[in-house]
Amino acid sequence: MIKIVHVVNQFFAGLGGEEKAGLPVGVIEGSAGAARALETALGGDAKIVCTIYVGDNYFHEHKEAAIKTILDAVRAAGPEVLVAGPAFNSGRYGLSCVEICNEVANRIEVPCVTAMHQENPGVGVYREFANSRLYCLPTAETITGMTDALSRITTLAMRLARGEEIGSARKEGYIGRGIRRLEKTDQRGAVRALDMLLKKLNNQPFETELPMEIWDDAPPAPALAQVKDRNIALVTTSGVVPWGNPDKFKTYRNTYWRKYNIAELKELEPGKWEAVHGGYNVAYMNQNPHYGVPLMRSALWKRKERSVRANCTRPITSSPAIKVRRRSCAASVRKLPQT
Amino acid sequence: MSKELEKAGLPVALISAMFPVAQQVRANRIVKGVSIPHPCGDPNLSKELDARLRREIIETALRALEAEVEGPTLFSPAIATGG
Repeated sequence: MIKIVHVVNQFFAGLGGEEKAGLPVGVIEGSAGAARALETALGGDAKIVCTIYVGDNYFHEHKEAAIKTILDAVRAAGPEVLVAGPAFNSGRYGLSCVEICNEVANRIEVPCVTAMHQENPGVGVYREFANSRLYCLPTAETITGMTDALSRITTLAMRLARGEEIGSARKEGYIGRGIRRLEKTDQRGAVRALDMLLKKLNNQPFETELPMEIWDDAPPAPALAQVKDRNIALVTTSGVVPWGNPDKFKTYRNTYWRKYNIAELKELEPGKWEAVHGGYNVAYMNQNPHYGVPLMRSALWKRKERSVRANCTRPITSSPAIKVRRRSCAASVRKLPQT
Repeated sequence: MSKELEKAGLPVALISAMFPVAQQVRANRIVKGVSIPHPCGDPNLSKELDARLRREIIETALRALEAEVEGPTLFSPAIATGG
């Protein structure tokens, strides 16, 4: 018998609506509330060992505590797969489904299925996580799509529980995560590429094997009227850090930034700084750290002669080979010094 | 990173040797760097020329901070780069 844990909000646990959105995490043995329909959809081969519920507001206001309690409950239940939702177009619920699934998938290594409407804000976060153990299925906007959602969740959850290979988003119908996967085909790349090119030249539709991420614009910040009397922060991904790498940066996939004070320095002396980076040959940078951190007071002084003074007194903020997703970038920015 | 800083209201001059990538991901103020292992200068040049180049790159970055831009804009240091 396959064991499944189901995560729902207070509403689908049958405990109440908005007035109960502050409910902390609770665990009900077996299936519960409106979520019972999932067990029915599963048929006889699987059972819901427990239903974990959390209030829509409680989760977002006490995230750390909520996640810890949920992880403990999931560990105790030992399921083959976890299902969260469906959340339809309910924003808080969709977000908590995705965040809970992501934690369970990462920490307990259990595959997770959730489902929601394409426009649910949870979908954006799901794409950012790009977690290979987490699948989000598209649903209708409202609860009227429940039957369809449950049937698709059930099919995918059972396949995951049985350890079946899950194909691409396009083939399987879950929402794409932007994960590139290797696939075997009977045609060489050159042949496939030429086929695509011919279709393109003939204005026929074709499907790329490597969809590119589309980037949105950031509204440009207003220019500085003049750099005179401004503090300028130097932020670098060159990996230049004090000699000895005191903050123990790795040469790849770092997830944090550190500040080093250069306020009193005229220049970065070779031998006092080193570049920690696995993505390029750091020999030049070690010889002259200014190739990565352009602290060149003389250039700034030159502007002073033209009655412009650039004041480079802020510390450099350094992180080698940064491997962060945009969400954590935003968090880093908020922690940067005000200039 | 530079986009998030710009969103927060701070102008950013992004010095990058991979400026086509910076343009592709839609950074706003992009300064053309020399080469990936040494974006802010060129060790193949004589000491004097390298110093001039490094200065020019910084000057260009400062000019980028002072420039109003509508969207992704590439600023090229005036001195010819390369050995």
